[in-house]
Amino acid sequence: MLEVKNLTKSFTTFRKEPGLKGSLKALFRREKVIKNALKSVSFKIDQGEIVGLIGANGAGKTTLVKILAGIVHPSSGEATVLGFKPWERDNEYRRQMSLIMGQKAQVWWDLPALDSFLLLKEIYQIEDSLYKNNIEFLADTLMIKDQLKTQVRKLSLGERMKIELMAALLHRPKVIFLDEPTIGLDISAQKAVREFMRNYQSEFKPITILTSHYMEDIKELCPRIMIIKEGQFVYDGALSKVQKMMGDEKRLTVTTKEKTFKLNVPRSELGEKTSELFTSNEILDLNIHDPSIEDIIESIMNYGIKTS
Amino acid sequence: MRWWRFVIASEVRKILAFRADFWVTFIGQTCIQIFIARSLWLAIFEASGKTVMEGYTIGTMTLYYLIVPIGSKMLTGENMGFLSREIYDGTFNRYLLYPLSFFHYKTITFLTYSAFYGLQLAIAFIGYQLLFGQLTVNEFIHLSYGLFFFMIASYTYCNISLFIELISIWADNIWSLMVMARFLCFFFGGAYIPLSFFPGPLQSVINFTPFPYLISLPINAMMGKLHFNEMILGLLILLGWSVIFSWLSRRLWNKGQYAYSGVGI
Repeated sequence: MLEVKNLTKSFTTFRKEPGLKGSLKALFRREKVIKNALKSVSFKIDQGEIVGLIGANGAGKTTLVKILAGIVHPSSGEATVLGFKPWERDNEYRRQMSLIMGQKAQVWWDLPALDSFLLLKEIYQIEDSLYKNNIEFLADTLMIKDQLKTQVRKLSLGERMKIELMAALLHRPKVIFLDEPTIGLDISAQKAVREFMRNYQSEFKPITILTSHYMEDIKELCPRIMIIKEGQFVYDGALSKVQKMMGDEKRLTVTTKEKTFKLNVPRSELGEKTSELFTSNEILDLNIHDPSIEDIIESIMNYGIKTS
Repeated sequence: MRWWRFVIASEVRKILAFRADFWVTFIGQTCIQIFIARSLWLAIFEASGKTVMEGYTIGTMTLYYLIVPIGSKMLTGENMGFLSREIYDGTFNRYLLYPLSFFHYKTITFLTYSAFYGLQLAIAFIGYQLLFGQLTVNEFIHLSYGLFFFMIASYTYCNISLFIELISIWADNIWSLMVMARFLCFFFGGAYIPLSFFPGPLQSVINFTPFPYLISLPINAMMGKLHFNEMILGLLILLGWSVIFSWLSRRLWNKGQYAYSGVGI
């Protein structure tokens, strides 16, 4: 069980005016800025659940994940994961948890993956038989067996991500934080990682939080999503419900001579709105369709949830 | 606690992965430094008309400057920025995720590099004695003392470095601070000029700092210039400084972990 109550995190940063003058000024005096990355966030996740954490850049997703992984201390609030306070970094907790950050390497670049795995085996105190089984299972399912003896820095981005996944799951964690695991990967590598994660989740049932900007990741893996905006949750619930929330709206994609733009229009006003568009613009193309999940989530991230 | 053995093995593999760097460092750098130092001191001895200066002949001075470059590498272990660079680019996060102490991990990797350079130092010392000196049991005993003291000094230097490098949690770039600290260690440690050339009062003052015990003490042990009592005293002082800096760096981390944001490139 993962439980978070009123979690808040503020960072102090310094602002500098652009240009040489600003740099010289900053040598003597810097403007202090306090950024509230998380504002009283609360939620619960049960064992075996996989939850998608969605938000724009800088919304607070990675900060939340870093706190739950024990890297960063919160400013206030409480969190318990498997009964541990993550930022106390109890070794028992760290043996059951894993964080995979798509943008940062955690394995050793100058070593072949197998050397890193051997080191991790000792760090996590994994039994020989379990280690052997896990290596075989992970290498087979991720189709990376042939690359295990190559220096990690010489692998492609997709192969490195698979190695990161292997390294992170070698000790069969009960809690997994996946931060942008498919970032920068080509479509087939993205598919392979998603497929692997789906199988892993159904077989070992860890608590998983997945943050991703790729909606395909979320749609395929997460029955539940949490949408975060400026450090606060604006939605926490089933992904399927999100679509229904805007079921009374249609999305119009309008192309005129000058530009292409999109509009969300209530069904009841559809006729009136389209005739209005045709009279006031020279329409080249008009497409009317149901909003996609991406459209709805983008709309929630930008404007919040409509209460009416 | 078998993980530390695998950390050592991994670090050795990393060092051996860069063969060119290994040979350039070992042969190129050492030979050039000895050539420069010997030429310089030959000129100084000739100009002064003396055969012994502050207890050093041209032979022992050459040996001194053979030990200095490799001994300094042994002292400073892993490269400068071994922790601050990781804090800056975010790879430091991995030590917070793994169920181990990053202090232990970093100390082990640091000392692995030291031990590796120790091997280079032993080869160079034996080579020098075979070519220009004599190789008896005494030389092997002095070599063992020297290597032992360099390892202890390296452990002390590692603790000093950990303390300085942790400052990068607050100040992103501490390169100049690290360069300054290294210069102080080398200058007052006797890496540039043997400490016996320093004015007497200055020698008394720097004895209250850890610097002379980091370089001068191990070199003197390797050259057979130390009595047993001096070695015991030196060992206790080095360990004392280690305890102080180890405590200071842990205190700093206790504060720093609240300021650490885990960001990187």
